[in-house]
Parts: sequence; C-alpha cells; structure tokens
Amino acid sequence: MIAAAVLVLPLLGAVLSAFARSQRAVVRVALLSTMTTFAAALFLPGAATVDLPWLPGLGVTFSLDPNGAAAVLVVVAALVMIPTALIAGLRVAPRSGGFVALLLVAQAGLNGIFMARDLIVFYLFWEATLIPSLILLGAFGLERRSAAVAKYLVYAIGGSFLMLVSILALKSLSGAASFHLTDLMVAAPQLAVGTQTWLFAGLAIGMAVKLPIWPLHSWLIDLNEQNHPSGAADVLGTLYKVGGFGFFAWALPILPAGAERLAPLLLALGAFTAVYGAVIATSQDNLKRLLAYASLSHMGIVAVGLFGLHIAGLNGAIYLLAAQMLSTGGLFLVSGMLYARRRSFDVGAYGGLAKSAPALGALTLFLIFAFIGVPGLGNFPGEFLSLLGAFQTAPWLAALATLTVIAAGVFGVNLYQRLFQGPPTATLRDIDSLEAYVLVPFVAGILWLGFAPAPQLEQIETQSELVVLQQEALQRQSLAPDSLAPESLAADGGER
Amino acid sequence: MNLPPVVDVHWGQLAPAITLLATAVVTLLLALWQKDSRQVAATALLGIVTAFVFNLTAFLGEREALGSFGLRFLADTPALAFNFVLLLGAALAVLVSYDQLPRMHLDHPEYYPLMLLSTLGAMVMVAAGDLVTLVLGLEIMSLAVYVLSAWRTRSRQSEEAGMKYFLLGAFGSAILIYGMALTYGATGAFVYGDIVAALDGGGLPLLATLGGALVLAGLAFKASLAPFHQWAPDVYTGAPTIVTTFMTVVVKAAAFAAVLRLVATVLPQLSPWLLTALAVSVAATLVIGNLAALRQRGVKRMLAYSAVAHAGYLGLAVLGTGHGGVEAAIWYLTAYTLMNVGAFAVLTMVVDSSDQGDDIERFAGLGQERPWLAFALTFFLLSLGGIPPLAGFVGKVMVFQSAIDAGYLWLAVLGIVTSVIALVYYFRVVAVMYFRKPEYQPQSFRSAASSLAIGVAFAGTVLLGLLPGWWHGALFVVGQLPR
Repeated sequence: MIAAAVLVLPLLGAVLSAFARSQRAVVRVALLSTMTTFAAALFLPGAATVDLPWLPGLGVTFSLDPNGAAAVLVVVAALVMIPTALIAGLRVAPRSGGFVALLLVAQAGLNGIFMARDLIVFYLFWEATLIPSLILLGAFGLERRSAAVAKYLVYAIGGSFLMLVSILALKSLSGAASFHLTDLMVAAPQLAVGTQTWLFAGLAIGMAVKLPIWPLHSWLIDLNEQNHPSGAADVLGTLYKVGGFGFFAWALPILPAGAERLAPLLLALGAFTAVYGAVIATSQDNLKRLLAYASLSHMGIVAVGLFGLHIAGLNGAIYLLAAQMLSTGGLFLVSGMLYARRRSFDVGAYGGLAKSAPALGALTLFLIFAFIGVPGLGNFPGEFLSLLGAFQTAPWLAALATLTVIAAGVFGVNLYQRLFQGPPTATLRDIDSLEAYVLVPFVAGILWLGFAPAPQLEQIETQSELVVLQQEALQRQSLAPDSLAPESLAADGGER
Repeated sequence: MNLPPVVDVHWGQLAPAITLLATAVVTLLLALWQKDSRQVAATALLGIVTAFVFNLTAFLGEREALGSFGLRFLADTPALAFNFVLLLGAALAVLVSYDQLPRMHLDHPEYYPLMLLSTLGAMVMVAAGDLVTLVLGLEIMSLAVYVLSAWRTRSRQSEEAGMKYFLLGAFGSAILIYGMALTYGATGAFVYGDIVAALDGGGLPLLATLGGALVLAGLAFKASLAPFHQWAPDVYTGAPTIVTTFMTVVVKAAAFAAVLRLVATVLPQLSPWLLTALAVSVAATLVIGNLAALRQRGVKRMLAYSAVAHAGYLGLAVLGTGHGGVEAAIWYLTAYTLMNVGAFAVLTMVVDSSDQGDDIERFAGLGQERPWLAFALTFFLLSLGGIPPLAGFVGKVMVFQSAIDAGYLWLAVLGIVTSVIALVYYFRVVAVMYFRKPEYQPQSFRSAASSLAIGVAFAGTVLLGLLPGWWHGALFVVGQLPR
C-alpha cells in the first residue's frame, strides 16, 4: 500500500499541476504532493511488498520492496523534493506547472527505481525517469542547452540500451525462472565467469553513465551548467545519480564472479574520478560547473565504497548517495538564489557578500561543510565508511581516494571565500523568508543524517549483506573445485 | 495428401472475412449515388466493427477446427489474433481519413471500398495455410493498395508512388509465384503441412532451397525487408498521408503474418540456409532503416524509414519463432499499429490541405500552439523509440528476448545499437516541438474523427505499455503453429 502510495502520490500531483490554472495553484499542488509523499515515505520501513503479475509470459512481476536501502533513499529524496518543488513553483515562469509536473513524474520514477525488485521493472523506471529530466533541460534550460540535451540523450540511452541487452541475455543464458531478484540471484551466479563478466560489463556501462564515473561523466557537467537557473532541475539531477544504486542492488549481487573480475578496474576508475573531480573543481569559475565537478568527486567515493565489495564500504556508498542529495541539492538551490540576485553563475562576479547577506552566507557555509564531509554532518559517515571499506581490499587506491578529502576541503573553503569574503563587490539583499524555509529542510536533514546514522545504516545493511553473501558463496565455490557450477550450460549460451 | 471427401467449411471462422467482403460490395454500390464520402466511411466502419465482433466470437469460442478447406484457410489463434490487428489498423485508418479525405481534396467515395478490399486480402494472407491462398490474399490486398497510393491525381509524387509500387509489386509477386512453382516441383504440394511432410521424406534439396529463397524474397518485398525495401520510403512518402497510415500498418502486418507462418512451418524444412539469409536481411534492415531515417528532414519520410526499421525489429521476432517469437510479433504489431497510426494521424493534422509541409520546422513550437497534438505525438514517438512505460518498450523487450532465446544475441545487440540511433531521430521531433519557438502558423484544421483516432491510439499505446500481460496472455496459447 505505502509502496504504491509513494509512486501514485507524485504522479497525481504531476497531473494536477500540469492542469493548474495559476501559479498559486501550482505551488499548492507541489507542496501538497511532496509533503504527502514524504509523510507516506516515513512509513516505508517494514511496509508490505507489492507483487502483481505484469507480464507472466516473460516472467516479469511488478515487484516493489520498500525495505532496505529504498527505505532510506526514498525518504531523503522525498524530503529534498519538498523545497525543490516549492522553489520551482515560485521561481519558474512561465510554465511553472509543466516544470513541477516533470519534477514530480521524475520523483515517482526515482521511487520506483529504489523499490523495484524485478529487473525489468527496475529498468522500466530507470529509463522512464530519463524523459522528464531531458525535457526539463531542453524546455527550460539556458542558451546552449541543445548540445547538452543531445549529449545527455546519447550517453544515457546508449548506456541503458546496452544494459537492456545484458538484462535480457542474463535471463536467457542463466535460465532463470523470472526477472525477480531472488530468482536471478540463484540462477545467474551459476554462469561461467567469462559470461558473467560480459554481462556485468554490459550492465556496468549503463550504470557507470548514471553513476557517473570518469570517462562517462561529461554529460553531467553540461547538464548542470545548462539547466534552469533556479537550480531545481539540478537537484533532480542530483537525485537521479542512481548508477551506484544500480550496482548495489542489481549488478553486484546477481553477478558475483563478474563483479569480482571487474571490481578492481571500477574501483580504480572511482578513485581516479574522486581525485579528478576534486582537482578540476578547484579551477572552475562557473559556479554550476564547479558544483558539478565537486559532486562528481563524491560519486568517485561512492564507486570506491561499492567496489571494495566490503560491507562497510557498501553501506557507506549508499549512505553517501543519500546524504549528497541534501548537501549537493542544497548548494544547487543556493546557486539559484545567487543567480536570482546577480544574473550570473560566474564566481568572480561575487565576493564579500557576507557583509550584505550574512544569513545566506552562514547557511551556505553550513552546506559547504556538509558537502566536504565535516564530521557530525550528513556526508561524513558515508564517506568515512566508503573509504574504510575500500581500505580492506585495495589500500593504495583507497589512500588515493582519501586525498580528495583534502582537495574537497580546499575547494570548499576556497569557494566560500570567493563568494562571501573579501572586499564587498555589491550589496545584495539577504535571504528572504521563503528562501529560509527552502533551506531549512536541507539543514535539518543534514543534521539528522549526521548525528543519527545507525537506523539508516541498519536498513541499508540488509541489502548490502546480499552482495557480501554472494561473494562469500563465490569464494566457497572456488575453494571446492569439485562443486563447480555446470559450466557447460553457461558456456553453451555464451558462445553464440 | 488427398482432399477430404467433404469440403470442410466453418462459417463462424469465415464470418469476419465475409463481412468485410459484403461491406466492400455494399459501400461500392453506395458510392454510386452517395457523393458524401462520410456516409460511405461510416458504413465501412460499421462493417469493420461487425467483422471485429465476429472475430472476437471466433477467438473466444470453442475451436472446432483449426481451419477450413482442408487447412487452406486457417483460423488458429495466430490467424485470429492477427485479424484483430488488421481490423484495428483499418478502423483507425478509416477514422483518420473520415474528415481528411474532403479536406485534402481526395473526396472520391470509392476510397473506402478499396480499403476494405485491401484489408480483406490481408485477412486472407493471414489465414493462408497454403501457398495458393497466400498469393490470392496478397494480390487482393496489393491491387487495392496500388490504386490507393496513386489516389491524389494530378500529383506527380502520388502517381509516381502508385506506379512504382505497382511495377515493383508485380515483380515481387512474380518472384513469389516462381518460388511457389519451384517448391511445388520439389515437393508436389501447396499446403504447408503437406510440404513439410514431403520434405521429411527427402525431396529435391536444390529445387526446394531455390523455391524457398524466392518465396522468402517475394514476401520480404511486401514486408519491406532489406534489400527489397527500396520502394517503401518512396511509396510511403509519395502516397497521400492517410493512405500511408493504412499501408504502414495493415499491409505490413499481413506480410509479417505470412512470413511468420512460413518460417514456423516450411522455410526451415526447405533449407536451413534460409534462416541465415533472413537473419542477414533483418540485420541490413535495422541498419539501413535507422541510418536513413536519421538523415531525413521531412517528418513523413523519417516515419517512412522508421517503418522500414520496424520491419527489422519484427524480423527479430520472426527469427525467434519457437521461442515466444510468434506472440512477440503479434504483440509488437498491435503496439506498432497503435503508435504508428497515432504518429501519422498527428502528421495529417500538421500538413496543409495539399499534403505538403511536413518539414521538421513545421513542428516548432507545436507544444505551445497545439498542446494536445504535441503531447500525443511525443508519446507515440517515444513509444516507437522504445521508451518505457509505453507499448513500444514492452514490444521491444519481447522481440529481443525471443531473438536472444533463439540464439541471435548478435542480432539483438545490433537491434539495440540501432535503437539508440532511432531514439535520436524520434527525439529530434519532440525537441523541436517543445524546445523551439513557433516558426509557422499552425494548421487550424480540427476533426472529431481524427481526434477519436488519436485518442484511441494514445490510450492503447499507454494501456498496452502499463498492462501488457492480458493481451500477451491471450496470445500465449499460440506456441505451436499447425503444420
């Protein structure tokens, strides 16, 4: 029931807001829809699963499980959506109704991604969410958006269609009874290592695009730069970094041997991405490009946590994924607030704002601290656990990734200085009550995730355990060569 | 095999086809004195609905036999399911033409009888259990469509389309008939079951291979599979848009029904090489159709090439026969009929009354000027591109799954890669509609019948995508085809 509610409520809101006659009505619908969704999401842990026959002929069931990582990610995303939809309803004009509708459709899609327990259903939500975010960019973006749309489309579709082949081949080659996670987790690990590696690679390309990690990241930078200046669409982009979740919930537990083979490579790419994003971010002048590269660095840490294949890192990666929704999302909305004052994303155009806008400065500093992983705030537990997990399996690469913590400190403090300190360049009005309301949920969420990580981590761990158990089973298998899986069956399929 | 002593006729199974024939005769007579084509259209629609009801009765009722006339006219689950697809396509095409025929100055009431006859031919092809019935159906269907594609008199393009279609169509039929003759020479039979039986006992391999290859080539022509596809973009573009709407769905469905049945029965028996040839042809169709569509400026021509490309996806399902391919093909054609008719129906609303002006610039700003049209077209195009949760996505999943299960993983990969290209050209139209300012005054034409057609297609595209199980479940008994 609750699982269905977090899908239906945003969709209902989307329909209402598309038909809303006035901007006031749009804002009301946006608030009502996001707040009820959030309220419903709070009841997700322990809620009943949904299992409906959808396409029985092909072994597809409409399966949703609101427990595990979903119980954390859906809640945090729902919290972030409240202020985001509010500011979109107020600051986007004309066509604010369309903008909010697209945001809400995407929210429903995200919730579906997090809760799906059938691989086809997961893919369905994964792909369906792309369209609203594409249209948000194309219909509401800045001057040079068409190139960004084309790039985004080709990367996202290219990646996810490859994923689709892997998904279909996965069931066909493994002979799984259905596309349900439990069936795939039994059948797919029996495949030969080579076949698993190919299938994993197919899934990995689609997921790496959406993670994103170097070298498949460049669409993200253009997307953030060209999105609507309110920053609301970028918040959605931040929530829609679901690649890491895809690995966590699907690729890693289903294909343990493939994961084991390719994890070192992906871990190295993740560590490189973390450093690369952080270093490039320090040299950016466009505020949104800066934030895009800086958040890319976080995604590198997520990858490092995931591909350590260690329970701590897996927990930490997903926790970081949830926490960065708040810190990165909040900073994108701050960038929109700054833009509303000076019509520029050029960091050089600002400076010394702390004099005229002290409250905005203080809130921004708080968000930056959260963003760079100061202990006690949201990102810290996730980053710490991600690196801790990676240290167990790949200490050198983990050490490399740890360097980004220093780099993050540098660009974070540097960013604050460039925006708010130094000689005042202009007097800007300080935060108004609306903007304060918008930022409050972010602050509250960051403190919540920073001070009380245990319940969320417990939820996540129920799912991380699947990955670890599958890896352990793999180890046992390779220790006992007599009990090797029926390779012939898999090899027969793999050679075609 | 000797003929059964008593000719077996099952009127219930023949009722849909007979209804169409009767309606065609009635509308033709009606057209003699009734100058308002809308009356004729309404009568035609009534006939199609009646045929639909008869077909539904046959589909749901007890099957006392798999077909009539010694299995020459089949009425098994695939045949009856294909009838639904054909009747749906025909009904939507009539609705789309209802107001467009007068608006486009094409107002001759004989239009509808021809459309009905063509649909009748398609039904006979779908039901064909032997090669002679197949040719009969093919010719009934094609002759009517040749005339329809040249419907705009004094238009070079339309006349060229009709002429080209006729000449190449006749050529294709000749090849098919020659292939039949060779097959008969090799096996001494026309009925599919008898051909298979004859080949089990040996037969003449060279003759059989050659015969099968020519039969396949003749049908590949109708199905617009490469390298026999060249007529398709020209004819689809040159013919009036309302006729193209009809051709791209009904004619294609019938051609694929025939190919499907042949692949399920006689073709692999004639020669295993034929399936390899078909696979190569499907691969070429996917690449050529999609790459060519990418380069078009005109939306009509883009959709024409997209129709060719979809023949490639259907080809994947044909190759997956025996692994869920038959259900996949029928399901895909149902979805394709809805979304393709929808896209063409919107196109008829955008072009001017002389059927000109389908450049992509004409769609600029349509999202503001005609929001509902643009919204519907967005869904149709995304569905054609295979974006969930629309019907086209589920269709693609079925088609690719059956091809992979049958061992054509490489073709599935190629299909996916070309789908990425496809999405670029479909999304380009969406982008122009929503991301650009209007450049032309949009057509002010409005029509309740067209709106109804678009609405039905839209609802079908969305509902089939959201709830794909029931129609697939109804087809699921398809499994084996009679031999």
